[in-house]
Amino acid sequence: MDFKNSGVLYALAAMVVLFVIVQSFFFMYKAWKRGKEIGIPSATMKQTVLSSALFSIAPAISILATVLALASALGYVLPWIRLSVIGNLAYETVAAEAALEALGTSMANTNLSTMEFSTVAWAMTVGSCFPLILLPFLCKRVHKMMNKVLGGGESTDEKAGEKANSKQKLGDILGAAAFIGIMAAFIARSVMGVQKDGPSAGFMMLAVLLSAMIFTVSLDLLCKKKHLTKLEPFVLPIAMFGAMGIAVLLTQVLSPEVSQFVWRSIAENGQIVWSR
Amino acid sequence: MKRKQNDAMQHPRTYIDTMHFWGKVWSVTALCVLFAVPLVFSLYYHVFPKWDIFLKAVLKIIPIYWGTAIVEVLTYTPMLGAGGTYLSFVTGNITNLKLPCALNALDRSGYRASAEEGEVISTIAIASSSITTTLVIAVGVLAFGPSIAKITAPDSVLAPAFTYVIPALFGALGASYFLKHWRISIFPIAVGILVYVFSPTMPVGTMIFVTIVAAVLGALALYKMNLLKD
Repeated sequence: MDFKNSGVLYALAAMVVLFVIVQSFFFMYKAWKRGKEIGIPSATMKQTVLSSALFSIAPAISILATVLALASALGYVLPWIRLSVIGNLAYETVAAEAALEALGTSMANTNLSTMEFSTVAWAMTVGSCFPLILLPFLCKRVHKMMNKVLGGGESTDEKAGEKANSKQKLGDILGAAAFIGIMAAFIARSVMGVQKDGPSAGFMMLAVLLSAMIFTVSLDLLCKKKHLTKLEPFVLPIAMFGAMGIAVLLTQVLSPEVSQFVWRSIAENGQIVWSR
Repeated sequence: MKRKQNDAMQHPRTYIDTMHFWGKVWSVTALCVLFAVPLVFSLYYHVFPKWDIFLKAVLKIIPIYWGTAIVEVLTYTPMLGAGGTYLSFVTGNITNLKLPCALNALDRSGYRASAEEGEVISTIAIASSSITTTLVIAVGVLAFGPSIAKITAPDSVLAPAFTYVIPALFGALGASYFLKHWRISIFPIAVGILVYVFSPTMPVGTMIFVTIVAAVLGALALYKMNLLKD
C-alpha cells in the first residue's frame, strides 16, 4: 500500500478542502450582507463573483501543475493539501527541496520512507505557518494605521473641509501607486529578468505581455464605445486567455530559435550570459 | 433610505470589527487544520521526523519564509481589506492570484480600496477566487490528474500557455492601470527593469518591495510638483 496516496491522507485532504470552502463562503456571506446594507448593487457583487471565478481558473491550473511536479517524490495528496492552505507555487517547491536535501535525498527520489515523508510534511507546514500566527496580532493594527494615514474608512465623502479632501486624494494616489508597484515588479521581470525555474525574459515573454496589454486595452475600448457593461467584468480573463493562446500559437508557428529566444540565460557555470 | 445611510455612516466600524473578530477565529482554526495534517500522518504511521534533520531543514527555510511573511502581512494587508486579508493568507498564492483578483474587482467596480464598499468587493472577489482555486485543484487531482499532467507536460501543445501565465496575467491587469495612471507607472517600471539588468535573478517577491517604494516615492514627488491633476 502506497502511504503517499493512502486513505488517511485523502481524508486529511478532504478536511482541508472543506475547511477552505466553508471559510470562503462564510466571508462571502458576511460581505454580501454588508454590501446590501450599504447599497452596493447585487449585480455588481454577482459580477465580482463571476469574473473572479473565471479569472482564477488559469492560475489555478498552473498551481495544479505544481502539485503534479511535486507528485513524483511526494505523491499527489501532500502537495495538494499544502497548495490548498497558505501554499504558494514557489514556496512549497523550495520547502520540499530543502527538507529532502537535509535528508540527503532529492526531488528525484520516488521511494521516500514514511519517516522521510513526515519530515518533509512537518518542514513544509512549519515553514509556511507564520502568516497565520502574525495576522491575529498585526492585521487590525495595520488597517487602523493605514486608515489614519490615508483617511479611509468612510463610505461617503461628505466630510467637509479641503484638508480632508486632499488627504483622501493623496491616499487614493498612494494606493494606486502601491498597486502599480506590485505589477511593475512582474512587468519588469517579464521584460528583463532571468529565472532558474521558469521562463526568462525574451521574445515570448514580451510577446505574451504585450498581447495581454493590447487585448485588455482594445476590449476596454470596445466596452466603452458599444456600452457593453455586461462584458466589462470579463475583460481581464478574456485578455489573459487570449495572451495564453498567443503563446501557444507563436510556439507552433515560429521556429524555436525565434520563439525560445531569451535576452540572457544562466550558463552551465552559473553565470548569466547575454544571448547571440 | 436616509436612516439607512446614517446607520452606515455611524457604524462603519462594526462591520470591520466583526471581520477582524472572525478573521482571528478562522486564522487560529486554520493553524489547527494546518498542523493536523503532519500530526495525524505521524500518529497514524507512528513515525515522527528525526528532529535534528527536521531542524536542519527548517532552519534553512524559516529565515526566508518567516521574514517574507512579516513583509507580506505588512504589504498586502492594506490592499486586501480585513476580510480579504484573513482569507488570502489562509489559502495562499497571494501575489499570483488573490491580489490581482481583488485589484481587478476593485478597478472594475470603481470603489476605493480603503472605503467600506471596496472592503466588501475585495472580500467577495477573494472568496470567489479561493473557492474556484480549491475546487480546480481538487477536481484536477482527483479526476484529471493524468490528463492535466499531459496538458501541462513540457511536450504538450498547450504547455506554453501555462509557462507564460504570469506575463499574461499581469499584462492584462496592468494595461488599464498603466493607461489610467501612466505618470505614476513609468518610474517604478523603469526602476524594476534597471534593477533586473544588474541583478537578473532577483526573486520577484524581493523586487515587489523595490518597485512599491519606487512607485510610492515617485507618486509623492509628482504630487508635490502638482503633476497629478486627476
